[in-house]
Amino acid sequence: MNIVMQHLPIILIATPILMAALMILLRSKPRFQKDLNVTVSFLLTILSALLLLQVWNSGIQAYGVGEWGKYGIILVADLLSAGMVFLTTCISFLSLIYSLDYIEKRSLNSTYYPLFNLLLAGLNGSFLTGDIFNLFVFFELLLLSSCGLVIANEHGGVTRISDKMEATFKYLVLNMLGAFIMLIAVASLYATTGTLNMADISVKLSAMSAAGTMPWHVFAIALMFIVVFGNKAAIFPLHYWLPDVHPSAPSPISAMLSGVLINVGAYGMIRVFFLIFRDTLYIFQPVIIYLALATIIIGAISAVAQTDVKRLLAYSSVGQIGYVFLGIGLGGMYAITAALVYLVNHAVAKSMLFLSSGGIIHHAGTRDMRKMGGMVDSAPLLASMFLVGTMSIAGLPPTGGFIAKFLLFDAGISEKYYFEIGIALFFAVFTLFYMFRAWLLMFWGEKRDVEKYGEYSSHKASSLIVIPIIMLASAVLIFGLFAEPLISLATATAGQILDPQPYIQAALTEVVR
Amino acid sequence: MNNTLLSLTIAILFGIGTFLILRRDIVKVIIGLSIISHAVNMLIVSSGVFAGTKPPIITDDGGHGASETTGTIFTDVLSENILAPITTAGHSVNYVDPLVQALVLTAIVISLATTAFILILAYRIYEEYGTTDIKELRRLWG
Repeated sequence: MNIVMQHLPIILIATPILMAALMILLRSKPRFQKDLNVTVSFLLTILSALLLLQVWNSGIQAYGVGEWGKYGIILVADLLSAGMVFLTTCISFLSLIYSLDYIEKRSLNSTYYPLFNLLLAGLNGSFLTGDIFNLFVFFELLLLSSCGLVIANEHGGVTRISDKMEATFKYLVLNMLGAFIMLIAVASLYATTGTLNMADISVKLSAMSAAGTMPWHVFAIALMFIVVFGNKAAIFPLHYWLPDVHPSAPSPISAMLSGVLINVGAYGMIRVFFLIFRDTLYIFQPVIIYLALATIIIGAISAVAQTDVKRLLAYSSVGQIGYVFLGIGLGGMYAITAALVYLVNHAVAKSMLFLSSGGIIHHAGTRDMRKMGGMVDSAPLLASMFLVGTMSIAGLPPTGGFIAKFLLFDAGISEKYYFEIGIALFFAVFTLFYMFRAWLLMFWGEKRDVEKYGEYSSHKASSLIVIPIIMLASAVLIFGLFAEPLISLATATAGQILDPQPYIQAALTEVVR
Repeated sequence: MNNTLLSLTIAILFGIGTFLILRRDIVKVIIGLSIISHAVNMLIVSSGVFAGTKPPIITDDGGHGASETTGTIFTDVLSENILAPITTAGHSVNYVDPLVQALVLTAIVISLATTAFILILAYRIYEEYGTTDIKELRRLWG
């Protein structure tokens, strides 16, 4: 047990990679493959909870891979990283259970498990790494594995394969360009400071800034990082790939993409701007705030007109991530807390909505909301679960979304950003409108398209599909009713983000095992 | 002079790559992407230090050519918190930064994998749509 506790960060990254290789070898034994993957995924959830506990109890953990100190790759688990890893492993465990029944058998046995594990490794790695080039490597890992997963086949074939190809092509080209921009930024940063360790870069840049010799191109590099992470998180000028890609993926993968993968962008923005580019933040704070506001507006307006349920949820993701970035841009202690609470609530609620939209699509046999209706009789469970998610995204009590929106707007008002909060509040009403419009269209009213409808035509929703949805929905309610633990965790995390000295101390101290 | 030529080459490669990415043919877009990736790789190499023909290895003679014994420490002593290389005062270790070359190798491998994937994707798109014209790929528009 002791040795596991000591090597927790690397275990969380290496185990999924090892599993990915094992899953390819085990593809002739589907039963064993499934059991092994679910068990390991559950163990990873427990391990990430242990990591969070360890960080909470005994401060920031730095892990030097290969014991090269600050010259090698280090993994650093502070509250932000450990919390994100915990969120990721929980949602991916539930998505994995869901996909056991949802994904087509042939695709599941051959490519789905390995790619899913690689995606998990990429996510955990990019949250835990303390090396900026390594961050790029993990970004590429999760980009390629998520491309493979978007193309995976689901039961029933509600999405045409050509749509998936088109969406994936768009996603891949844009994200490759994002990766090139990130490489340019990393190379310039390396040429400026002579190190790739994020804590070390931070020390050197603040020394330069204190001496007044900070070169001007640091600002350009910071701008490039806004483009990179904005592209990952679908911020306003770079948002247009998301509503194509997320709906085309099978539902558990949509849940992973919309719930977890766009958090990577928010995480990167927090990490890079509050650790490395602290001294350029005074210029970029307004940029982030107004990009976030534009994202909120575009997301809300586009979502109102959608007829495809998953496309509506994807546009809603665009809008909601705008609120998270608004919190990051406001930048005070309270605002960062609010952004983190918002991030967690959105991740849970949105992955729950995508999972239940998969159940709904299989129930109705179509993705077009205009052809659905009256499903509250035939699928009461899905209807109530979807209602919980709808309320959370719209920000109604007693769900977590209410707490998150309340904190965010309260933070903005107390920091006197009246105009910005006014716009955000106005478009939050849009959220209420389009989410409830979707719910009413799908579940209320008369049955339409009677001959095809209401017979679970393509696939029956089994307990494997229902249980993850119920668990996530109860998490949404718990975050609304007992918000205090999450808020205090987010407050502690925000404290660590705004005061990076402990992080730098932990990362630069040599650990000899 | 050397650096100017290198910068110029990188700039021209970026230009060509951007031009190709804006074409309508999928294959041209992919070629453009890989040209941009080469430009980025050259940029990374150029971010390291150039020093003539020096190898990216720290040699024991404390530099290149000079053979006098210096007090330079080349191996880590982790228990005493010593991380190599540490040079004594008055001496300097001259070597070309090896890290950028490691970075470039990683970047090349990654872009190889991505390009292989995107080429297969382009072939499948051609099979599904019967065309490589990007303007025809518009089923998701709207």
